[in-house]
Amino acid sequence: MSAGGRYRYLFSPLQVGSRTLANRIVFSAHLTNYATQGGLPSAQHAAYYEARAAGGAGLIITEEHSVHPTDWPYEKMIHAFRPDVVEGYRRITAAVHRHGVPILAQINHNGGQASSMYTRRPLWAPSPVPDPLFREVPKAVDQHEIDEIVRSYATVAARCVEGGFDGVELQCSHSSIVRGFLSPATNHRTDGYGGSLANRARVLHEIVAAVRHALGPAPVLGVRLCGDELIEGGTTIDEAVALARAIEERGGVDYINTSIGVATASLHMIEASMHVPPGYATFIPSAIRAAVRLPVVGVGRFKDPLQAERALAEGHADLIGVVRGQIADPDFAVKARAGRAEDIRLCLSCNQECVGRMGLNRWLGCIENPDTGREAAPVGPPRSRAALTLATGAQNTAADATAAAPNGRNANGHGAPAVPHLVVAGGGPAGLQAAVSGAQRGWRVTLLERQSQLGGQVRLAATVPNRAELGDLVRNLAGEARRLGVDIHLDTDASAERVEMLAPDAVVVATGAVPQRPWWAPPPDGGGERICDVVDVLTGAASPTGSVVVIDDIGFHHATSVAELLADRGCQVEIVTKSMVVGQDLGITLDMEGWWFRASAKGIVQTIDRVAMGYDAGTLTLLHHPTGADDSRSPDWVVLAVPPRPADELYLALAERAAAVGSGNPEWLLRRIGDCLAPRRAHAAVVEGQRAVDEIARALTASPPRTLALGTVSAPATSEIAAGAAR
Amino acid sequence: MNLLSPLALRHHTARCRVLFGPHETNLGDGRAFSSRHVAYYRARAEGGAGIVVTEEASVHPTDWPYERCPDAEEAGPGWAAIAAACRPTGALVVGALGHSGGQGSSAYSQRELWSPSDEPEVNSREVPKVMEGADIDAVVAGFGRAAATAAAAGLDGVEVNAGQHSLIRQFLSGLTNRRGDAYGADRARLAREVLTAVRAALGPDPLLGLRLSCDELAPWAGLTPELAADVARELAPLVDYLVVVRGSIFTVAETRPTGHHGAGFNLELAGVIRQAVDGAVPVVAQGSIVDADQADEALAAGRCDAVEMTRAQIADSALVAKLRRRESPRPCVLCNQWCRVRDNRNPIVSCIADPRAGHETTDPAEAAEKVPTPHPAAGRPLTPSPPGDPQRPPLLVVGGGPAGLEAARVAARLGLPVTLWEAAADVGGMARLAARAPGHHRFARLVEWLAEDATAHGAELVTGRAATDADLAAWPGPVILAPGGRPAPPGFEVEAGAVVLTPEAVLAADDAGRAELVPESVVIWDPLGGPIGVGVAETLAWTGRRITYCTPDPIVGTLLSLTGDLPGANVRLQQAGIAIERRVVLRRAAAGTVTVEHRFSAERTELEAGAVIDCGHRIPADGLGAGQYEVHGGRVVLVGDAVAPRTVGDAIREGRQAALALAPAGLALAAMAAGGGSS
Repeated sequence: MSAGGRYRYLFSPLQVGSRTLANRIVFSAHLTNYATQGGLPSAQHAAYYEARAAGGAGLIITEEHSVHPTDWPYEKMIHAFRPDVVEGYRRITAAVHRHGVPILAQINHNGGQASSMYTRRPLWAPSPVPDPLFREVPKAVDQHEIDEIVRSYATVAARCVEGGFDGVELQCSHSSIVRGFLSPATNHRTDGYGGSLANRARVLHEIVAAVRHALGPAPVLGVRLCGDELIEGGTTIDEAVALARAIEERGGVDYINTSIGVATASLHMIEASMHVPPGYATFIPSAIRAAVRLPVVGVGRFKDPLQAERALAEGHADLIGVVRGQIADPDFAVKARAGRAEDIRLCLSCNQECVGRMGLNRWLGCIENPDTGREAAPVGPPRSRAALTLATGAQNTAADATAAAPNGRNANGHGAPAVPHLVVAGGGPAGLQAAVSGAQRGWRVTLLERQSQLGGQVRLAATVPNRAELGDLVRNLAGEARRLGVDIHLDTDASAERVEMLAPDAVVVATGAVPQRPWWAPPPDGGGERICDVVDVLTGAASPTGSVVVIDDIGFHHATSVAELLADRGCQVEIVTKSMVVGQDLGITLDMEGWWFRASAKGIVQTIDRVAMGYDAGTLTLLHHPTGADDSRSPDWVVLAVPPRPADELYLALAERAAAVGSGNPEWLLRRIGDCLAPRRAHAAVVEGQRAVDEIARALTASPPRTLALGTVSAPATSEIAAGAAR
Repeated sequence: MNLLSPLALRHHTARCRVLFGPHETNLGDGRAFSSRHVAYYRARAEGGAGIVVTEEASVHPTDWPYERCPDAEEAGPGWAAIAAACRPTGALVVGALGHSGGQGSSAYSQRELWSPSDEPEVNSREVPKVMEGADIDAVVAGFGRAAATAAAAGLDGVEVNAGQHSLIRQFLSGLTNRRGDAYGADRARLAREVLTAVRAALGPDPLLGLRLSCDELAPWAGLTPELAADVARELAPLVDYLVVVRGSIFTVAETRPTGHHGAGFNLELAGVIRQAVDGAVPVVAQGSIVDADQADEALAAGRCDAVEMTRAQIADSALVAKLRRRESPRPCVLCNQWCRVRDNRNPIVSCIADPRAGHETTDPAEAAEKVPTPHPAAGRPLTPSPPGDPQRPPLLVVGGGPAGLEAARVAARLGLPVTLWEAAADVGGMARLAARAPGHHRFARLVEWLAEDATAHGAELVTGRAATDADLAAWPGPVILAPGGRPAPPGFEVEAGAVVLTPEAVLAADDAGRAELVPESVVIWDPLGGPIGVGVAETLAWTGRRITYCTPDPIVGTLLSLTGDLPGANVRLQQAGIAIERRVVLRRAAAGTVTVEHRFSAERTELEAGAVIDCGHRIPADGLGAGQYEVHGGRVVLVGDAVAPRTVGDAIREGRQAALALAPAGLALAAMAAGGGSS
C-alpha cells in the first residue's frame, strides 16, 4: 500500500502557494476562548494546536485575530493589533512547526457583528444596520476609517509572519467587516463601496493588495468566502463564484476557503449539529472549484476520513476542513493514515462542549475528550497520548514503578498494589471512561453492566430521529475499552457482595439514574397508567398513541426528541414547559432553529409558562404562572421529560460496608461518578470518569499508609445514608 | 440619628450608616482580587461609605459560580490591599464570604454542584448532588478557613451570605431543603455551624455580619417573613449586623431589581425583622435604596439601623461626602444596565450615569470639584471659575440629550465657558422620553441632575434653539455635536393608509394626545427585543386597547436578560392581557391590518391593527455631520447617537470624553491624578 494507505487522495501532498502540504486535512479556523490574558495568545493555544499538528493535520489555520482595536466582540479574542502578540505567536508556530506542519493565522475585523461592551467605542460597519444577534447600531465607516482598516490588515499580516506563521487567511465570511461589505443585506452604501458586486468587493480587493504587499511573495495568503449566507437579501452561490473568479484574476491569493451561513444570523448552519447531514455545504467548494484554478477548501460536518476522501475523489474540493473531528480526536489524521479509522474517536456533532461553550465565553472542550482544552495542563502518565502505544502493547505506569510484592501489595502489605484492580459498576459513559482511563494506566479493569448492552442512557438517546450520531460516544468508548482489554461483563448486576468478591483495589460506581415521577403525577397503579417517562418510550416499555402532552422540565433534547418520535408515529403532540422556551438549551448547541422548523412541519405545539399541578382521571391540570390562570389538558398520554434520581443504592451499600470495616478505612477506594452522583449530561460523566481514576491513582501512589483523602470518598456517617434513602 | 450619624458595631464604629454591599464586579484577575478592585473600593471609601463589603469570595472549591468569582483561597493579598487602601479613609472593610450551592455553575469547576436536596436550579435546570455529611463539614471548614484568611489580611470582619445565591439559604428554605437528617429537621443548623466556625476563626474582635433572605416570595415552601423572623432571632446572638434581603431560586431578579419595583421596596420587611430581633443585632435594610431622604425616613421610623446603598454608590462614589456637603449626588436610575454583571460575557461593573465606575484605573476623572492646589503645569489657577473663563474660546454643545448635557456639565466643571443649544423645548432627549415609560421614571432624575450640575458650574442651557451648519462654521470655539438620532425607515412594506407610529411619538404624547394618536387596536413591532418595545407596551397597557406584541424571538425583550427584567417584563405584559406573537417577522402594514410571517413555518397571518408602532433601530439624525466623528477640521466633534444610536450610557461616556479632551493639559493631568475619590 502507498503511504496514504487506503486513501488515494487524502494523504497526497498539495502545493499551496509556496508551501507544500503533506495531506489534505485542514484544521480550519475556529474560536477557542483560550486567550484568557488580555488578548494575548496563551500557552494553551500552543499546546492545543501542537496536539493537532502532532496528530498529523496537513494545515492548521488558527482562530481569528483582531486587526483593529474597534473589534473586540468577545472577551477572549486574540488582539493582533497589539505588537506584543508576537511572542505568543512564536510559541504557537514553533510548537506546530516542530511537527513539520504549516500554520496560518486567520485575521479579521468583525465589523457590526459585534458588541461595544469591551471596546467602549462605536462598532464599525459599512452601514448603520444592527446585527440580528448583537442588535447594536454600528457607525458607518468613512473613507478615512476604511483606509485605516485596510492598513491594519497589512500591519497585522506582517506581524503574523514575524511571529513565524506561514501566512494568513482573510476571514471574509461568517462574521467580518469584509462580509458586511460583500453582502447586500448589510451594505446599503451609495458610494464606491456599495451597489454592484465590484463595488461591494472593493474593500476585499484593497485588503488583499495591501496584505500581499506586506507579506511579500512567499507567505501564503488565503481568502475565506461565504457561498450562501442563508439570510434574506444575502450573498448566494452565483455571486460567490463570481467573486472567487475576480479574486483569482487580480492575483495575490493562494487558496480559497469556503463557508456557509452568517455567524450571527444563521450560525446554526455554520457549525451544524448532527441533525444536518454530513457534507451539507459541499456544493459551495464544488461550484467555486469548477470556476477557479486555485486550491479550494471544503468544510461542513466532515466527520470521517472516508467521507473526506470521497469529496476529494469526486472533485468537490482540494482540501477538507476537519475541525470538530480533530477537536474530538487530535490523532484523526495519524489514525486514518495508519489504517485505523475505526480507532478514531469520532465527533458526534453534538455541539455541547465545543460550540456550546464558545457562545458562553468558556474555553473550548469536547464531550468525549476530557483532554481537549487542557492540553497545556500537566497530566499524570500515561493518559490519552499513551493510548496509541497502549494499543501496541508497550506499557508501563507510575503504579508499576512502586512495585511489588507477589501478592500485588507493597512489601509492607498495605500500600499500593503493583497492578491495581479497578472494578467499575455501570457501563454508561461515566463507567466506560473510568474503565478506559484505568486501563490506560495499565490497571486490571473489570466492568459490570446490568443491561445486555453498554451505553446507558446515551444508547437510548441515540435511538430518536436524527440523534443516532450520539451513539458514537458509546461506540468510541466501548471500542477503546475493548482494545485496552477491559474485562466487560454484560447482564451482570453489580451488588455490593459481587463487587467485594472481585477483590478490588478501587471501585468506581457509575450506576446512572432512574426515572422518577414528580409530586403531581400518580404512580402507574394509582391512576397514572397513562403517564410514562421518556425512557419508557425509548425502551418500548410504553407506546403512547393519540394525543400526547410531553412535560419538559429538563430543557434539552429529551422532550423535543420524544415529541418528534411520537409525531412521526402519528401522535398529536404538545410540549408543555414552565420555562419561557421549550428545550431552551437547544439554543446553546445550535439545535434550536432546526427544532423550530421541524416542530412547525410536524405540527408539534409548544406551550410555555405552564406548571403541571395535578393529574386526575385523565385530566392534566396546568397553572399559567405569569397570570395565575388555570388551564388543563386531557391527552391520551402524558410523557415526562423530568430529572431522574441517582441510582445510588450500590454506592450507599458499599459506603456502609466500607464504614463497617474496622477503623473506617475500607480495603478499597470508593468513588461515585456521573448520574449516580447527580444526574447531568454526558460530559460530566466522561470528565468524572477520567478524574476518578486520576484521583485513585494519586491516592494509590500516595500510600502507604492508605488513607482516604479523596474528598467525598470517605465513608459517610449513618446520617447521610439516611438522607440518601429518604430522597 | 440619621444616615450620617455613626453606628457602633461590636468593637468598631462605622462613621455613617451607609453600607456599600457585596456585588459581582468581574474586576478580578482570574479569581483573585485585582488592583482594579482596590481602586473601585477605595473610591467608595474615599467617598465616605461607612462600611465597604467586598465582592463575595467562595469558600470551597465546589463553588465557582461565575468565571471571575473571587476564591477565598486566593483572596488574602487582595483583601490586604483593599484594606490598606480603604481603612485610612475611615471606612470599615468587610469581606463577603459564601457558597452558592445549587445556584452555582459547573461550567468552570467541571464538577457537580452541592445542595441540601436535589432541587434543580431554575435557570440552568442542573440537578445538584445531595450533600453528604463530609461535604457539609468541608463547607463549614471552608468558611472558617476563609474567615481566618480575611482576619489575617487585616479586614475589619466578614459577612456571611445566606441571601441570594447561597447554600446557607438553600438549607434554611423548605423550597430546597427536603433532607431527612438533622440538617433537614433543623434547617438552621448549617447556618449556626458556619457562624460558629467563622467566629472561632475570626477571634473576638472582627465583625461578623449576616446577609439573610427574609422573604423568598414563595410562601408555599419558602422562607416567609414570619419564618425568617424566627431564624433572625435564633442567629442574632451570633452576629454583629444583619442585612435583610429577599429572593429565592425562583426569584433571583427580585433581590436587586430594576426601577419596576419602587425604591426601598424592602424597607417594610426590614422593619418586621428589626422588630423581631428587638435590638439583639443592628439591622441593615437593602433593596433599591437610592435616595438619602427615604433612607433617613426609614432610620427615623425604626425600620433599620443602617442602609445598604450599593447602586447609589456605584452611580456616585462620593455619595456620602456629597450628602455631608449638602450637595446632590448623581442619581442611580435603577436601570441595572451596566451594574448587573452576572453575565457569561464578564462585563465590568459600571454605571450608565458614571461610566468611570469600574474603570477607575483607566478612565480620567472628571474635573475634581475641589482641586487642592493648583497643578504646577497648568500655568493658571485651576479652581473652576464659573460662569466660564472669558479668556478661553467658548464651547458650543449642540443637543441637550444625555451626551450633550454631560459634555456641557464636564466642560463647565473644567472651567470652560459653555453654551448648549437644544432644539426642543426641554433638555433630555431620548432619555427624557424613555423616562415616561413605567419603571423608567428615574431617567428623568438623571436628566435633571445633569442639567442642574451643568448650570451650577456656569453652563448656559438654551432650549428651542436649533443649530445650522452656518452656526457651526461661525462659532469661534470648539463645538461638540450631539443632535441624536432618528428612527430608521420601516423594514416592512407600508401601504397607503397604513399608520406607522414611532415610540418617540407615543411616549411624548400626553394622555389626551395619546388617545388621539394611538387607535383601539395596535401592533407593537419589536425586532430588537429591548426596553423600548416593552416600555411602549407598558405605556399603553391597561388603557383598554387591544395590543399585539410581535417579536422575531421566542421571548419578549430578550435584551432585558442583562438587567434582570426579562421574566418581570413577560409577566407584566401577559397580566395586562397583551397578546404576543412570537417568532414572527412583520411584512406589511396596511390600513387597518398588519401582516406577519412566522419565521419557521413561513405562514402569513393578518392581524387587525389600526396602527403599528415600529420599535426598530435608529440611525444618526440627518445633517450636521451625521454619522461622523468630526467635521470642520476637527474643531467640531460628534458624540452619542449622532455617531451611532446606542444607549444612554454610551452617550454619557462619549459626551464626557469629548469634554475632557478640551481640558487644558495641566488640568487633565490633575483630573487623572485625582484618581478615584472626588469625581
